[in-house]
Amino acid sequence: MKKERFLIGIDVGGTFTDVMCYELATNRLLTAKVPSLPGAQWRGVVEAIGALGIDKGAVTGFVHGTTIATNSLLERKGAKTGVVTTEGFRDVLEIGGTRRLIGGLFDIKFQRPPPLASREVRLEAPERIAADGSVLKAIDGFDFGPLVEHFRKNDVKAIAVCFLNAYVNDANERAAGAALRKLMPGTPISESAAVTRERGEFERFSTCVINSYLTPTMAAYLDTLTAALETAGVTAPVNIMGSNGGAMTLDNARGYVVNTFLSGPVGGVTGSVGICRLAGIDDCITFDMGGTSTDVALVHDLKPRISHSNQIEAHPLKVPQLDIHTIGAGGGSIVWMQPDGTLEIGPQSAGAVPGPACYQRGGTQPTISDANLILGRLPTERSLSGGLVLSKPLAEKAFQDLAKKIGADDIVRLADGALRIAVAKMAGAVREVSVHRGFDPRDFALVGFGGAGPMHAFNVAEELAIGRVVIPRFPGHLSALGQLLSDHRHDSVRAWGGRVGEIDPAAVARQFGEMQKQGEARLTADGFTRDGIQHQFSADVRYVGQSFTLAAPWQASDGSLQPLKEAFIRRHEETFGYADPHNDAEIVNLRVVSLGIVRKPILNFAPEESGDPLIEHHKVYFEGGWVECPIYNRARMAVGLELFGPMVIEESGGTSVVPPSWRIKVHPSGALICEHEGYE
Amino acid sequence: MSGIGTLELIRESLVAVVNEMRANIVHSSYSSIIYEGRDFSCGLLAADGRQVAQSLDDNPLHIFAVPYSIREIIKVFKGDIHDGDIFFHNCPYTGGTHLNDVLMLHPIFFEGELVMFAGTRCHWGDVGGMTPGSLSGRVREIYQEGLRVVPTRICDRGKMNQAFLDLLFNNMRVPAERRGDFNTMLGTGRKAEEHVLRLFKRFGGRGLLTSIDDMIRRSAEVMRGHIRRLPRGVYQAEGYVESDGHTAVPLVARLKLTIGDGEIIADFTGSSPQTAGPTNVGPAMALTAVGSIVKSFLDPKTPLNHGSFEPLTVIAPEGSFVNARSPAPCGGMVEVKALLDMLMAHCLGRAMPEMMVGELKQSANHVYLAGPTGRGNGNIFILYEYPGAGTGGWPGGDGNNATRGYTEGDFNSTLAVEIVESQMPLRVEQYRLREGSCGDGEYRGGLGVLRDVRLLGESATLSVLADKNVIPPGGTQGGRSGGTNRFIVVRDGEIVEPSPIPGKVSGFQVRQGDILRMQSSGGGGYGDSLDRDPNWVARDAKLGYISREQARARFGVVLRADGAVDEGATRTARERLRELRVRLTLQLANEDRFDGPRRQFFLPAAAAKRLNVKDGDFIEVTTGKGAAVRGWTKVGDGADETLSVGPSSLQLLAATPGDRVEIRTVPREPA
Repeated sequence: MKKERFLIGIDVGGTFTDVMCYELATNRLLTAKVPSLPGAQWRGVVEAIGALGIDKGAVTGFVHGTTIATNSLLERKGAKTGVVTTEGFRDVLEIGGTRRLIGGLFDIKFQRPPPLASREVRLEAPERIAADGSVLKAIDGFDFGPLVEHFRKNDVKAIAVCFLNAYVNDANERAAGAALRKLMPGTPISESAAVTRERGEFERFSTCVINSYLTPTMAAYLDTLTAALETAGVTAPVNIMGSNGGAMTLDNARGYVVNTFLSGPVGGVTGSVGICRLAGIDDCITFDMGGTSTDVALVHDLKPRISHSNQIEAHPLKVPQLDIHTIGAGGGSIVWMQPDGTLEIGPQSAGAVPGPACYQRGGTQPTISDANLILGRLPTERSLSGGLVLSKPLAEKAFQDLAKKIGADDIVRLADGALRIAVAKMAGAVREVSVHRGFDPRDFALVGFGGAGPMHAFNVAEELAIGRVVIPRFPGHLSALGQLLSDHRHDSVRAWGGRVGEIDPAAVARQFGEMQKQGEARLTADGFTRDGIQHQFSADVRYVGQSFTLAAPWQASDGSLQPLKEAFIRRHEETFGYADPHNDAEIVNLRVVSLGIVRKPILNFAPEESGDPLIEHHKVYFEGGWVECPIYNRARMAVGLELFGPMVIEESGGTSVVPPSWRIKVHPSGALICEHEGYE
Repeated sequence: MSGIGTLELIRESLVAVVNEMRANIVHSSYSSIIYEGRDFSCGLLAADGRQVAQSLDDNPLHIFAVPYSIREIIKVFKGDIHDGDIFFHNCPYTGGTHLNDVLMLHPIFFEGELVMFAGTRCHWGDVGGMTPGSLSGRVREIYQEGLRVVPTRICDRGKMNQAFLDLLFNNMRVPAERRGDFNTMLGTGRKAEEHVLRLFKRFGGRGLLTSIDDMIRRSAEVMRGHIRRLPRGVYQAEGYVESDGHTAVPLVARLKLTIGDGEIIADFTGSSPQTAGPTNVGPAMALTAVGSIVKSFLDPKTPLNHGSFEPLTVIAPEGSFVNARSPAPCGGMVEVKALLDMLMAHCLGRAMPEMMVGELKQSANHVYLAGPTGRGNGNIFILYEYPGAGTGGWPGGDGNNATRGYTEGDFNSTLAVEIVESQMPLRVEQYRLREGSCGDGEYRGGLGVLRDVRLLGESATLSVLADKNVIPPGGTQGGRSGGTNRFIVVRDGEIVEPSPIPGKVSGFQVRQGDILRMQSSGGGGYGDSLDRDPNWVARDAKLGYISREQARARFGVVLRADGAVDEGATRTARERLRELRVRLTLQLANEDRFDGPRRQFFLPAAAAKRLNVKDGDFIEVTTGKGAAVRGWTKVGDGADETLSVGPSSLQLLAATPGDRVEIRTVPREPA
């Protein structure tokens, strides 16, 4: 085996492709940024590696975050997908539970997006499994020939096999899958229980169909990418970021595309976890604010929260994903006036083209970035990354036009108002992942990154009385860094359980044991050795009679189920405001997370430049007034340096705006650890 | 704190509190209709009961009813409301909806002053009464629908009235579940109070209250502005609840809508008296219907508060079924409210033709199948479903298949098959779109569903409360009606009607092996079905939404063997279908004729013959503009080419004597 020399993380965003490279011998981190090419993400990847200027043959580790799955689904560019399903149930995918799933209240013209598999290629097969798993009608001997003929005639390129109650017994699904594979070699075929083994046919079928729908697109992308990388001289195996926050092999990404929807944004969360671990912070909320949207996620005990029920457009997606909440507001979001004369922000964005008015690219509508510029929070003298120089007069012009409409006389106060509304929206997103999930945001540090994150993180923190903010070094590249910090991860779930007071703890241990073995087998096949594999166990628990569950941890050493039950009761009281002493708890699902541990960079930043970090002073608007404020160059800030707000810190890829009352300190990881003086 | 952006901040923060309340309820409740169905709502209200914040995810049925109830509670307890009190209420006659919808109200005090209320209203799975689930089709008095609670203080300065709670839970089925739902609401109120107090501390008491007044004032101004853009005038509509629950005699609802200078007056005078059946509503529901449609047509996107509805006046005569008094049952509240929605939509649609839309199912479609679980512990199961249906066509698009309508909360109306089968002695044998059930039109309605549930257990009882089982949802602008809702039992392959009154069933005995077949209606169509793009019809046939035969008979589209449109044959077929239509010229009679609540149309014998209708058959008359006017056939006098109608029919049609109208039958299921 070749000596490991460079590890690479690559994140493809809507505007830029970011790469972060770690040189193992020197602990050095290199970054590069190239424009993304819509429709050819692989090209940005290859170019970004080229931009690093390293020996490509010496790259030994490679993790890639891609938005292929999300884009193909939202643009409806997946393959024509056929469905084979239980007799009587071809319309499950179209009916669901009759929900609209996409708003639509008070909208007489709303239209529910059609299912990904069209009705004429949803076919029924004579089979039936009962709820207890017994086979009422076996599929053996059924002639799939006519179905296959129909699929061929209708140009079907992928197939989903979706049978009722397959979560209990998938024998018929497997038999049907095997028969179809024989008849249609080369056509991707997914079986619902193999994609996700959870109860609830609509959600499971939908997940399976999404998987089939996207498999050909993803496979084609990965083929092009690996070929292009090979041509470029990169021979390291390609790994793809998974939505669960772990990396996955190419084969897994091809077979289970449903696990890659958050491949892009999860990197920032794992990156934040890495930084927080070094800084000794266990609980944080990640705040990744870009040009058009903001991604927020909660990390408790250094573990990002996982959501098991997700939805893309109107399509349920029942696979574990990091619980990332996205809102359509970012630096480029447009500020406008509602019919009742109040201000509103977004969701329309000026995007990269024309961009905010201050970008001098033809944008005339006021944006959040323009507001920041008017308030002195963005530099006008020095160029941003990519050589962009901002124009204050254009930003002011855009806000003057809005001020006329709204009847305001002072554009500074208007810009300040717009900023506050944007901050309120961001705070709402933070509440969504914290308060709504039973956590108090004040117990968490806010990690600000992405192009606009460091500029707004402090305001959002103040809005929520969060007393600690972390700004990682290279805030614009944190997602790529996160990919370098990601272990391989395999999630498994079993719909198994019963009342905690009635089930045998040994039976629970047996179930977990079997699941652990399966996880181990998957990771061993990916090339991990046993001592490089770790497992985490938990159960989905609820009070008897409830529907929604809370996760409670389990350990082989627990002996009884008492610790699990107590953890559940505690969480229930915290989350919902009451506990129910009269009621027994029940286990609904068992879950095991198996991790293949990879070698990670040692984060040990030193200032890249020497000299005085202070650039100059200028006026910045804080809390209703202009304050003479120092401007610093982050590349010159040495580890251990301690400063007091207000101040503005500039670096390539992000500007931090630190209000008064904040004390910042440069941590050995390069991150700024910032504490508010007033909160406890 | 003040300045630009503060008002927005406060509005955002208040809505955030409501959203947090909602999340709390969904995740910790016990009734499937709450956690699956999302049949609940949360709201923040000012100390005088005005609505301050509501979420667009809340059940719109409650949006007006919650403030109404709270004003009632304030009326009863004025000057006697204290920190730590909690109030409880579900009485339809004082602002409730039906008895299953239970309201809990937490007053919130800041610096010793009552500043706000946090209210939650949840649909409990059972509140007692004569059948499991409490709602059923054949009730005569409200006492059969469960426990009625007028505004009541259940917690006095922090001390819970245990005797009241015991009485409550001991008179409901599955009391553990009820207690769970109660606790959920209690916890939610506490959390809401916590959040609201944090806002008061941050913004200051006066500051916050002033901002709320400002928000409400602005919303009222916005709504007045929208109304001023409408053509002023008087618009009328009429519709039926098809039965009083015990006989085939329908109830009629009438609406006269006046659009004035920045105000709307909705007058339901002329509607049938209250009835000894389930389809009555209390005083809050007419307002709810008017508000929902005004909101949908004029201002669907902005956040809701009291101000949006200040410009609306609703007249609902006391003692009529749209504003009933004790002891009229109110279980069929949804059926009545949904009918009033449609009348409003038709009236406003005449003022805003771009918003005309085919009718919705106009029924909650409550279905309860309940019986022993068969696990030997005496426990019972209750399957409660309320199947969604096709929505209406609109200018530019077809209705949705099997989807909750635009005035309904976004509920799961049927449970996952895998949950039903693993928890109850039932097997679901098919769940599919009901092919051909759409109301035809240039833009057709969506399809309803067909769902078969077989009883594996020993026995069960079936209760149904649904409307539009005989009179289908109608179309608009010449569009046709969809298929009706329909609920039957299939026993050994034979259809068994569980009640002499379709859709109104109380405690029908279901036997082991029987299949409960639920079918929901198709949405009403928009525009003339013979104007529908033939390629769209071909696509519908390819998808199996309609058969090739239906494409020809209903849309006049002839398809070739490969499924493509045969254009020549289609032209001929359409001409022929147009010729077959029965068209008459309107003539003004001195008066309208009625048979009780039923509007009667006197058809010339020749026309009746062509339509193949006889006395008492249900028909409709349309000018091709707006909603058709429906009535019952009386064959007889009149010239062969004229239809003689009274002044009110003419007003409903918005027509003048001499206009040509089409007369057509209204089948329960489109052929």
